[in-house]
Amino acid sequence: MVPEEFEKKRNAGKVNRVIDKITRLLGCDKISTRKVDLLSYSHDYWPISLHWMLEDRYPSLPHAVIWPESKKDVKEVVKWCYKGNVPIYPYGGGSGVLGATVPERGGVVVDLKRIRSLKIHDKDLLVEAGSGLNGYYLEDELNDKGYTMGNIPQSLYPSTVGGWVSTKALGQFSTKYGGIEDMLKGIEMVIPPGGELCLKPHARTSTGPDLRKLFLGSEGALGIMTKGWFKIWPKPEKRIKLSFASDTLEDAVESVRKVMREGAEPAVIRIYDKIETKRHFYDYDEIFGKVATVMVIEGNEKITQAEKKIVKEEFIGTEMGGKPVDHWLETRFNVKEAAEFVPMGVVFDTIEVAVNWSKAMDLYRNVVDAIKPIKGVLFASAHASHFYPQGICFYFTFAGTTPRKKDAEEFYQQVWKAAMEAVLDSGGTISHHHGIGRQRRDWMEQELGEAYSTLKAIKERLDKKRIMNPGNMGL
Amino acid sequence: MPGKWDWLKDEMGGVSKITKFSTVMKFLKGRVSGPDDMTKCAMCPNMCRHACPISIVDGKETTSPAGKSRVGMMVDHDVLPMDEENLYPMLMCLSCGCCERWCPFDFSVSDILRAEKEKGVEEGVIFEEFQEMFDNLGNYGLVQGEIKKKKSYPNQGDVLYLRGCEFRGDDEKVIGKTMGAFEKLGLDAFVLSDEECCGIPAYNAGNTQLFKKLARKMAKRINDSGAEKVITSCPSCAYAYRKLYPEFGLDIDVEVLHIVEYLEQKKDILGKKKGTVTFHDPCKLVNGLENKKGMKDVLEKIGLNVKVPRRSGEKTFCCGYGGSTVCRLNEYLSSKISEERLDELSSLSDKIITSCPTCKKAFEENGNLKVYDIGELLYELL
Ligand SMILES: Cc1cc2nc3c(=O)[nH]c(=O)nc-3n(C[C@H](O)[C@H](O)[C@H](O)COP(=O)(O)OP(=O)(O)OC[C@H]3O[C@@H](n4cnc5c(N)ncnc54)[C@H](O)[C@@H]3O)c2cc1C
Ligand code: SF4
Ligand code: SF4
Repeated sequence: MVPEEFEKKRNAGKVNRVIDKITRLLGCDKISTRKVDLLSYSHDYWPISLHWMLEDRYPSLPHAVIWPESKKDVKEVVKWCYKGNVPIYPYGGGSGVLGATVPERGGVVVDLKRIRSLKIHDKDLLVEAGSGLNGYYLEDELNDKGYTMGNIPQSLYPSTVGGWVSTKALGQFSTKYGGIEDMLKGIEMVIPPGGELCLKPHARTSTGPDLRKLFLGSEGALGIMTKGWFKIWPKPEKRIKLSFASDTLEDAVESVRKVMREGAEPAVIRIYDKIETKRHFYDYDEIFGKVATVMVIEGNEKITQAEKKIVKEEFIGTEMGGKPVDHWLETRFNVKEAAEFVPMGVVFDTIEVAVNWSKAMDLYRNVVDAIKPIKGVLFASAHASHFYPQGICFYFTFAGTTPRKKDAEEFYQQVWKAAMEAVLDSGGTISHHHGIGRQRRDWMEQELGEAYSTLKAIKERLDKKRIMNPGNMGL
Repeated sequence: MPGKWDWLKDEMGGVSKITKFSTVMKFLKGRVSGPDDMTKCAMCPNMCRHACPISIVDGKETTSPAGKSRVGMMVDHDVLPMDEENLYPMLMCLSCGCCERWCPFDFSVSDILRAEKEKGVEEGVIFEEFQEMFDNLGNYGLVQGEIKKKKSYPNQGDVLYLRGCEFRGDDEKVIGKTMGAFEKLGLDAFVLSDEECCGIPAYNAGNTQLFKKLARKMAKRINDSGAEKVITSCPSCAYAYRKLYPEFGLDIDVEVLHIVEYLEQKKDILGKKKGTVTFHDPCKLVNGLENKKGMKDVLEKIGLNVKVPRRSGEKTFCCGYGGSTVCRLNEYLSSKISEERLDELSSLSDKIITSCPTCKKAFEENGNLKVYDIGELLYELL
């Protein structure tokens, strides 16, 4: 049942006054204090919050949910919440996997999905998008008009543009198109205590520190993004699909390092370790038991041919043709496992990290070795999903069943702790693209060192009362 | 060739037996079925959100596809009571099936939530807005209530034309034109003077008893009509007769086709007049009747220059009035969805064709353009 605390919180007088004020200003249709809405916004896709839901526990409830429809609405919300000291949790698609939208201190969740304008600036190769615009909606509309933005995260269908910017997300085609940080050219933000700022989408600008970067990855802790301008590309004219089976992970990783060093940029590269190769390519006899790599090269015809030549020259492994790539393309959005296994009591999660080439294989081994021996763990595996001339992103997956005398959350945190420590000890960074949220905040100090104090100081300056997503990222 | 889960069984082979381990193993071996569908949907990160017209336009988690299942789960688990406030989000569903096309489990949320909707009705949680519809269906067999003036059409022939509630109650002219088009196509068409609703509005609102009552009547009347073939203007009617009735043990003995499906079968239907049009594929045609290609080919066959919308065929987007519940409980949202769709269509052509009476109504009520049903379009072009 819903905890009694829920009712207590709901009656907190001061918060209710702010909610009343916002209701008067925005109208009833844009705000709700109905229990069903509060429960629906008590979680995101953080496994811990899903676990709460399955156990009928709702420890983090907001007092209200707000659906602004314009920048003006957002400004009113920030202004009155700041005045009344009411926490705000910006919410996009709720596909974040680290609890970054979980309203742990009560207050209001501000869902941006009704702010979803879209305008293509053809000559400037820019798209102007409302922050709540759905990711697929944007990319499909661009494709229809002959463009691509090239940001295709696996969460393309549920996530929003504002979520992408706020978590510093990136997509499956990032090795060519880059992450969202490479695409964001301009941004409009509403910041405490209710003001706004707009950094215009110039081709380039040298006007002091690049403040767009301040908001990239700020996870709702510095303000609310209302609009962004992003780089777009004409739709690629050519697509080449390549795949390889290698004997070892080292061979495949080393091959891609060389490819990147040569300057080739296949849009998609994914290397699966042996476990994940078996998991994804179980009906490909020639690949089973090996290390599979799939690649998509796309863009200008001549450039793609040159890239293909480089890849073929450098790759250590047997070429497997386009079929495994088609299989990957067809199944890449089949997100089923959490829904199938978590209700059966399986503890399941993914952890994405990055590391420079020189330490890549050590990090892979150290993380797997740290997770696997933990009692209850069924498997720990990884694929490498994003690549740079300097290094690589490893995306680990683990699953387990809680050992007797342990609680599921405790078991989950034990695995995370082991993984995070192994990453830091191996010289990697604790997150490549999911961000920090509430799950990774305890490692921020270790990750950033002195720079964490700088981040805290910026937060203090912009949001003295700490109303913006309090507690997230430890801020 | 290794099986889907062999890799996991291999990995688990080395793990000592622990709590819940055996359930997982049994699942992997296919001995237990795993979580129920509503729980699976509730645990999904909304992998069909982008296709759900409600979710795109309403923007609320509570009414998103997985969100609705989560509400269902909360009601099932007694976290929330079954009352109007909590049934309401589950009824914010157009029954369009647009989610199914993208769902890794092939779920349609409207099916997933059927049991909850039925439970609502059984427990007496009936919205005022539905009561009138239920009464009209029960008393007159028509969603809108009693028809004052009835036009007469032939009541014998080879092909039974079932007009559907929307045209019978609100748009009589289209019936005349569709019958005219059938004549031009050489069909000996007739209507049932005692046609009633197929029952789908009751089904959508969770009133399965009323649906069954109407279905029994209509199945008998169709089977007794002597028709060789049935053609409908409304894809929901065709869906009910062809797909739903058999699920309730009621078989229609003759072939039932929606008008677009009938035209698809015809080789040569070249129209005399040309022009540029765009079209709206009704959800029930594409998702319900699984006519994935939609209307494009048929319109091209008539000789029209067809502008294809981004959201067409299996990527179609509901008109906003589908599913009988949203347009009754939240007219504003239905209109917003219609407007969203109309913006897309009217940017392509000012002549919009559809093949569903409800879609036509939605667009004409929410925009300034005349929207043609394919029956009346044919009548004008042939
Ligand atoms: C199945 C699945 C696959 C995924 N695949 C990828 C992937 O390939 N690549 C990747 O990078 N991530 C991936 N993710 C993680 C997640 O989808 C991304 O982090 C995504 O960017 C979150 O977007 P959202 O709109 O859902 O944001 P939410 O989860 O709603 O919010 C995330 C954070 O951003 C803040 N926020 C959201 N909107 C705004 C705004 N307008 N202004 C200020 N703050 C805001 C929130 O407060 C929160 O801190 C995946 C997640 C899932 C469930
Ligand atoms: S219908 Fe399928 S894709 Fe949509 S939310 Fe439910 S499980 Fe996910
Ligand atoms: S049936 Fe249609 S309205 Fe209902 S959840 Fe699925 S896509 Fe959304």
